Amino acid sequence: MADLHPEMHERWILRTELLWSFGVGILIAAILSMIVLTAVTMGVNPPSNVERIDPKTLHLSGEFSEHNLGTTVGADGSVTVRAVATQFMFVPRCIAVPAKRRVTLRFASPDVLHGLLITGTNVNTMVVPGYVAQVHTEFTRTGDLLMPCHEYCGLGHSEMWATVQVLSEDQFKPGPDGRISCAQR
Amino acid sequence: MHSDQPSAADSPLEVADDVDEEALAGVMRTVPLGAGVLAGAAVALLVVGYLLIYILVFIPRGTVG
Repeated sequence: MADLHPEMHERWILRTELLWSFGVGILIAAILSMIVLTAVTMGVNPPSNVERIDPKTLHLSGEFSEHNLGTTVGADGSVTVRAVATQFMFVPRCIAVPAKRRVTLRFASPDVLHGLLITGTNVNTMVVPGYVAQVHTEFTRTGDLLMPCHEYCGLGHSEMWATVQVLSEDQFKPGPDGRISCAQR
Repeated sequence: MHSDQPSAADSPLEVADDVDEEALAGVMRTVPLGAGVLAGAAVALLVVGYLLIYILVFIPRGTVG
């Protein structure tokens, strides 16, 4: 019987398994290469930033105090957005950003775990109390994008969202202090 | 045999199959190949789906990091 069914021999099974492992190995190597290639050539990376901040005092002074929230354009032209994610709103509720320019988004939470994503973009991060969540991105299209909290943070979680207003270069006009708010429409 | 006693022939499961060794050998040649083709097609579909989403959705959404 065994002679009639060579496919059932152990060496045949081993050969099939090795062939399958080889194919899977090639797939994994191809996918990893693609991830590394896009990371190196296009700057597509998982956001990684370990920066501590005291959640009890972050709103009182320093970077995340109320007067410093929103969009700021630095002297070197760099665009930085600072926002606080708190139960159950983002402060500010609307964020103005330029299209086709590198933007740094910085978030902090004074209470519980929050998360956010910006629809139609790859921006997606958690906002952990005690840490600053930082994401770099470049918005490719103009328009209003929704930014909801995507980490359940309490009974008002579903009401916690903000708007990201992506403005074209001619609409993105910061004031003399380098600050810009959403355009009223 | 009494008529009220069941016969093994009444139940198809009780009758030994008439196995044609050549036919069995043929089946044993093609079945592992079919399993490989099925598993390969399933994995290929998953990989194609992943690549389409990666190239057509993820990359055009812009840089992030």
